[in-house]
Amino acid sequence: MERSVTHVALFAALVAVLGLVPQIALPGGVPVTAQSLGIMLCGTVLGARRGALAVGLFLLLVALGLPILTGGRGGLGVFAGPSVGFLLGFPVAAFVAGLVTERAALPIGWAAAAGAFLGGIVVLYVLGAAGWALMLGKSMAEVQVFLLGFLPGDLIKVALAGLITRSVARMRPGSLLSRPA
Amino acid sequence: MLGTGAGRCACDAGTFRLKGLEEVSPPSVAPGLLLDAVGYGVAGRPILSGLSAHLTERRIGIVGRNGSGKTSLLRLMAGLVRPTTGQVRVDGIDPAGDRKAVIRRLGLLFQNPDHQIIFPTVEEEIAFGLRQQGRSDAEARSRARAVLAAEGRAHWASAPVQTLSQGQRQYLCLMAVLAMEPSTLLLDEPFAALDLPTRARLERRLAGLPQRLVVISHDPAVLAGMDRVLWLEGGRLHLDGPAAEVLDAFSGAMIRAGEADADTDIPG
Amino acid sequence: MLTLTSPVETWLHRCPAGVKLAALAAVTVGLISMEGLVGPSLALVAVGALYLSCGLLRYGLRSLLPLWPFLLVLAVWHGWTGTLAEGGTVALRLITAVAAANLVTMTTRLTDMVTVLERLAGPLRHLGLPPRTLALALALVIRFIPVLSDRISTLRFAWAARSARRAGWAILVPTTLAALDDADRVAEALRARGGAG
Repeated sequence: MERSVTHVALFAALVAVLGLVPQIALPGGVPVTAQSLGIMLCGTVLGARRGALAVGLFLLLVALGLPILTGGRGGLGVFAGPSVGFLLGFPVAAFVAGLVTERAALPIGWAAAAGAFLGGIVVLYVLGAAGWALMLGKSMAEVQVFLLGFLPGDLIKVALAGLITRSVARMRPGSLLSRPA
Repeated sequence: MLGTGAGRCACDAGTFRLKGLEEVSPPSVAPGLLLDAVGYGVAGRPILSGLSAHLTERRIGIVGRNGSGKTSLLRLMAGLVRPTTGQVRVDGIDPAGDRKAVIRRLGLLFQNPDHQIIFPTVEEEIAFGLRQQGRSDAEARSRARAVLAAEGRAHWASAPVQTLSQGQRQYLCLMAVLAMEPSTLLLDEPFAALDLPTRARLERRLAGLPQRLVVISHDPAVLAGMDRVLWLEGGRLHLDGPAAEVLDAFSGAMIRAGEADADTDIPG
Repeated sequence: MLTLTSPVETWLHRCPAGVKLAALAAVTVGLISMEGLVGPSLALVAVGALYLSCGLLRYGLRSLLPLWPFLLVLAVWHGWTGTLAEGGTVALRLITAVAAANLVTMTTRLTDMVTVLERLAGPLRHLGLPPRTLALALALVIRFIPVLSDRISTLRFAWAARSARRAGWAILVPTTLAALDDADRVAEALRARGGAG
């Protein structure tokens, strides 16, 4: 029980900290913001349930007024704005990422990448676009073009989620809650 | 313990300054580590002030209590942070400005190997710095293996870092740094987390190194063999001179401090 | 820990958090049903007046800045399709809702929010989440944000000591491991002190 609580809390802190660090540099020179990568990692490393709880806990702290969203944002205002679909989609994305990582009959790196893709892109984009559509008074079809801007960076993050999860699995075989040894 | 026993610096005990600082050649060509009226603060909080010293000896120690600014001084010397006032020069180079040049000259060993090791296997960790110096992947890897072989640890190459003991990890950090062939090594409390036999081994290894060593410690015993020791107190250079003299004074002061019931102020 | 609450005391700070949240909920629901330009404009003016009465108007305007890309898109879209009035309604509703929500955040202290949360979370006890556990989890997150932040700093320094380039994604591996290790260590400490339930 204690282990679940602390893992959820520590990874919520990790997502927060990844919003505070400056962008991580990539070989191609494309800087990415690390927070959404952190959300995928909650799922791929902790598994569906704890991953979703970790991200949910993170959102709770954002709502309570901590400036831990990338760019130092937070508070109730972000939930009243157009990005609310993405925000509320984060825990769902983590859940899906975790579910795929747990269940996919693939080596951990590929499973994590698949999970990050299905959760962090497919599901999250749908929910995010729905949020945009609702708040901006448009249809889903009309807003989806704006998703394209996120795609390159997020595809890189999917690959990184796979690589990082695989490294973590190799270095702490017992600790990968999504694939207990 | 780590030094070669030789070397004194010309210090004026009365003013605790290096005598003849005015005679040093202009900063742009002076070899060694130069601190020129260096001050450093974070978020308005002063950590170091008024530090001036020209470090050219082969074995240099920096002693001080926890919180005296030793680690910040190390970071300034390595160019990981910029001074708020004053200048730091390594062989005439600004370490914070010319990173590429400085990583060839300075190697850094942090206190806790777990906070320093980035890669999962021994070989990758050693090869990283070599790649950053411009070598190709293959070159870096083969040089890493060569370094391991030279230390009698060729079988460590594909070992996960996780399987190494604390002392072995510290050794790995040392090998990773030495592989880059720096001329100066900065070490932050290198023995803090080690048991006695491991410490003895590391001491021996360090004593045999041809590079200049700058060692930070709160333990005077570690610095007993240094050529020169700087005592940092409250972010200022309190005493600067031969090891025996400075460490004697330091030990005395620490004993007196330990007898008083203090340390109630919160530093942050 | 730095929060988004305004350090300057205003009359709204003294208003109970529960009341403010309920009012915010009412305002948001009300805005959804408002059509045309008059209703939302009046609502925005009302919210603006509240800001003014607290002396937070400038701060409030600054916290609306992140909306500008969306407002730009709306302006271009509705300008292009000749439906500016419709666009205006959407924009006004959006700005008012966000401004109202931000005002609640600015005038409510973290501790007061947590108190409301604990009351609301009471019923979750029956779903297996004791309120004490939630409080513990919140405290742990706040405690460990600076710890993990320091760890990333240290890793960045360790990278910078051997590379002239900015730290790459590889430092996220030891960072994640640090989170896992700290989680194990704290769990042990908790068990030794009686558990988390």
